[in-house]
Amino acid sequence: MQWLDTGWFGIVITLVMVTFILSNIYRADKGKKELFIRRIPGLNAIDDAIGRATEMGRPVIMVPGIGSLNAVSVQALNVFAHVTKTAAQFSTPIKLCVADAAVYTVAQEVIRDVYQKQGMIERYDVDSVRFVSDRQFAFAAGVSGTILREKAAATFLLGEFFAESLIFAETANSVGAIQVAGSTQTSQTPFFIAACDYVLIGDEFYAASAYLSRVPVLVGSLVGQDWCKLLIATGILLGFATNSLERSQETSVGRVPLAVAAPEKWTAMTEETKSVFEAAEDEIPLDKPRLRKRNETSVFRLFNPLVREADLRVERPQKPPAPPAATGGAQ
Amino acid sequence: MIPLAQAPPITFWGVQPGSGEMWVKIVVALVVCLLIMFGLTFLPNAGRKAVVWGFTFAGGLFYVLLWIVPTPINRGPSDLPRPGEEFGFWLQDALPHIVNSANILTAFLLGLGIYSLLRVHLGRIAKRQPDREFSAILLVCMVVMAGFGYADWIMRRFGEGREKLELMQNWTPVQYAFDLMFDGLLQQMDAAMFSMIAFFILSAAYRAFRIRSVESTVLMASALILMLSLLGALVALWNGGVDAMAVALNLPNASVDLKEAHFLNNFKLNEVANWVRSFLQVPALRALEFGVGLGALAMGLRLWLGLEKGGISA
Amino acid sequence: MTPQKSIWEKLQEIDRRILYLILAIAVTVPLWIPAKLPVIPDSTSMDLYGQLMSVPEDKTVFVQSDWTVSTRGESQGHLEALLRILMARRIKFVIYAAADPQAPQVFRNVILGLNQEREARGLPPYRQWEDYIDLGAFLNAEGTLNSIGQDVRKLFGPRRSADTEGRERPVLESPVLSRVQKIGDAGLYVVVTASATIDVAVQRISGKTKLAAMTTGVVFPSVLPFYQSGQVVGAAGGLKGVYDMEFLMANGVNVVSPTGKVEAQFPAKAELTAPPLTEIEPKTVTFARGQRYFLSFHAAIVLLIIAVVVGNIGMYKMRKNRRGA
Repeated sequence: MQWLDTGWFGIVITLVMVTFILSNIYRADKGKKELFIRRIPGLNAIDDAIGRATEMGRPVIMVPGIGSLNAVSVQALNVFAHVTKTAAQFSTPIKLCVADAAVYTVAQEVIRDVYQKQGMIERYDVDSVRFVSDRQFAFAAGVSGTILREKAAATFLLGEFFAESLIFAETANSVGAIQVAGSTQTSQTPFFIAACDYVLIGDEFYAASAYLSRVPVLVGSLVGQDWCKLLIATGILLGFATNSLERSQETSVGRVPLAVAAPEKWTAMTEETKSVFEAAEDEIPLDKPRLRKRNETSVFRLFNPLVREADLRVERPQKPPAPPAATGGAQ
Repeated sequence: MIPLAQAPPITFWGVQPGSGEMWVKIVVALVVCLLIMFGLTFLPNAGRKAVVWGFTFAGGLFYVLLWIVPTPINRGPSDLPRPGEEFGFWLQDALPHIVNSANILTAFLLGLGIYSLLRVHLGRIAKRQPDREFSAILLVCMVVMAGFGYADWIMRRFGEGREKLELMQNWTPVQYAFDLMFDGLLQQMDAAMFSMIAFFILSAAYRAFRIRSVESTVLMASALILMLSLLGALVALWNGGVDAMAVALNLPNASVDLKEAHFLNNFKLNEVANWVRSFLQVPALRALEFGVGLGALAMGLRLWLGLEKGGISA
Repeated sequence: MTPQKSIWEKLQEIDRRILYLILAIAVTVPLWIPAKLPVIPDSTSMDLYGQLMSVPEDKTVFVQSDWTVSTRGESQGHLEALLRILMARRIKFVIYAAADPQAPQVFRNVILGLNQEREARGLPPYRQWEDYIDLGAFLNAEGTLNSIGQDVRKLFGPRRSADTEGRERPVLESPVLSRVQKIGDAGLYVVVTASATIDVAVQRISGKTKLAAMTTGVVFPSVLPFYQSGQVVGAAGGLKGVYDMEFLMANGVNVVSPTGKVEAQFPAKAELTAPPLTEIEPKTVTFARGQRYFLSFHAAIVLLIIAVVVGNIGMYKMRKNRRGA
């Protein structure tokens, strides 16, 4: 990141949010008081769904989306670990279909660990976690086939889903499965809402592990996130107020590109230098006052600082030219 | 100063493509990595966890530093760092290598995925389970596709007269077979799977899109406005009606040709849809994105600092 | 005796395969009906067209093409429109995929098709090295876009391509990339995508260069917050976006047509004018894909609306019957 590009403000705000989250984790870890989390119906339905699968003698199918190994898929696997724990207690068969090799490796470890911790390693089926394909629609076809063939009683679709979301949801619906779904991709949430029984919307997905386990660290982190939301909401209100005020006032100084502020300097530059100073801006007095433009408010400037020509003038020592034989790459 | 049009000089980390040095470095790196992996298998469980966390922390730390430490502006290809800029230069130089290393690791993990596929499907065939014929088809397709893909790549990259292969008339049976499988089958099957979504949207809409409460009525109304606004013919008809009404009512500035500002303009279908998008949909999406972003931030922090005490690290 | 089911009850239990058949017919038949439907371009499309038409001629446009043949109904139209504008204006571009290894083959086919079209009309073809650079695929969108934002020359440095004489040379020596030192030197950075790579691009490079998006209809709403905030300077979404671009290529933005009408008016930006492309490219070939699919699109949406309405009437009638019983 370059501070001149994006300003210090973004970094400071992010660091404040990091502090909020970490301090609340610390607070929760030390404190004894159990914190309140509002009811999330989709997560309450997990036990019902597994119970139904047990009664019907059909498997539970879990899909952590098609994303790579990142925070989203790790969170999905956290929830699946909880599902597997309950399923293991009832000897309900599970299938976890994965589209990414790295997620597959971690998923295998996690599921085996769950059975081991429950003391039921003999119930663990090595093939219950399977890599299907890393091609989006080959994966969609493979998982749909599994849902249809195995006649899944419950499906858990949690993670990064794209166009395949509705294919899974409708296929599972056609075999009468109870479905709990949630995606961090907001564009896919409407499809899940149309086709699934329970949907985790937005950050409910990230709240899942705290909700299910009530581990203080996770709950504390959730409280920290709420503090951050309050900070953002305050920021929006302040931004709205200051922007409205400033844009209704007149200014006699305009923020313009260097080419407008100092045309004589600009035309004297070589083409190569122009490319360096293109980002430069300056302020010039206006002939007559006018209302402020969008890029002349203080909030805009917080995120897009004024970079003057002098800021971009950098003279650095140069590497000695390498002998031609040693450069290799350029011919 | 090296002119801009010239590629940066090759360092220890990059070698001349196709040179003997490249192959030596690849083999040495492979052997070293295999030895490290072999050594790691002897570690006890707790030790493995420490290694995993150590790697996670180091990887995370790199990106955090990259984000916080100011990287040099206007850096020329042969610039040396000024005092205080050394670390920024180093971080910037290291980034492509970190990205490449991550890509290579991911490629190796694919091997584990293929192993899973082979185990599941060979097992099904060996145990004579139902639907084993599909497993056989899958395995045959996998081997044939990989075989022809590799042969095609070798011919195009290193083969005699490889430039000629750019033109279809010079293709050999290998190129025809690979084209048939890739463009003719795989791509088309991908497209077929994607187009199935249209059918599923219809059945989901028919089955589930019901007016059961005030919320669902609002949802339905806004969905209808947005769907109708996509129909160019209907929008033209509707807006034409609004313009005609403005003229009939003799509103100031009303003119069908120039569509100048008059109050009824607000009721044009594309304007109503724009309003719904800008003032209902976008704020809601933004709020959701804030929540998701914060969730990812918190989760990332917990993983990075080893605070995650859920399914994975428990 | 079981009471006879009403038509609404029967419709509620309709086999979904019948619905699928109706949709297949409704979408396929209009493909053979030549109809030029009217369209009012979205402000996002008009901004995108305006931006593309105002890229300085000596600048290189970066095209990140992250779609495969599965979304060609929308994305191919987007890429064709984008490349047609760049080719007509003789603007150099660099093209690559940041997410999918299949994507390069697909965009290569599009460039090949456009070049054949140009040759058939006696226009000079766009040549690799001189006019554009095809960099193939970079995997791992997060890492790639981070590197592009940080130091584009480091990332592109190792890639090589044959020059006009057939010699393999580093792509940075090509006329397309020789003037690019950092991502800010791009005339415009356009992401043609069917996935969330536009989000990654916004996170990593918006603010460092002008970013524009051409996305499928499903992904489009997630671009709108960035368009409103100015992080994305223009966007075309879905099939409507394809037709918008075709319409704008024919009519320009805020330009008076020979009939004296302003076909594509953008009242919020009256100062923005962009001429049509018709002077350079004959209308006949250029403006086809969006127009050809638009009637099918109408049919599908109308059918969807009918399905929702019929489903709701059925539910209402059944409830009424149950209460009556």
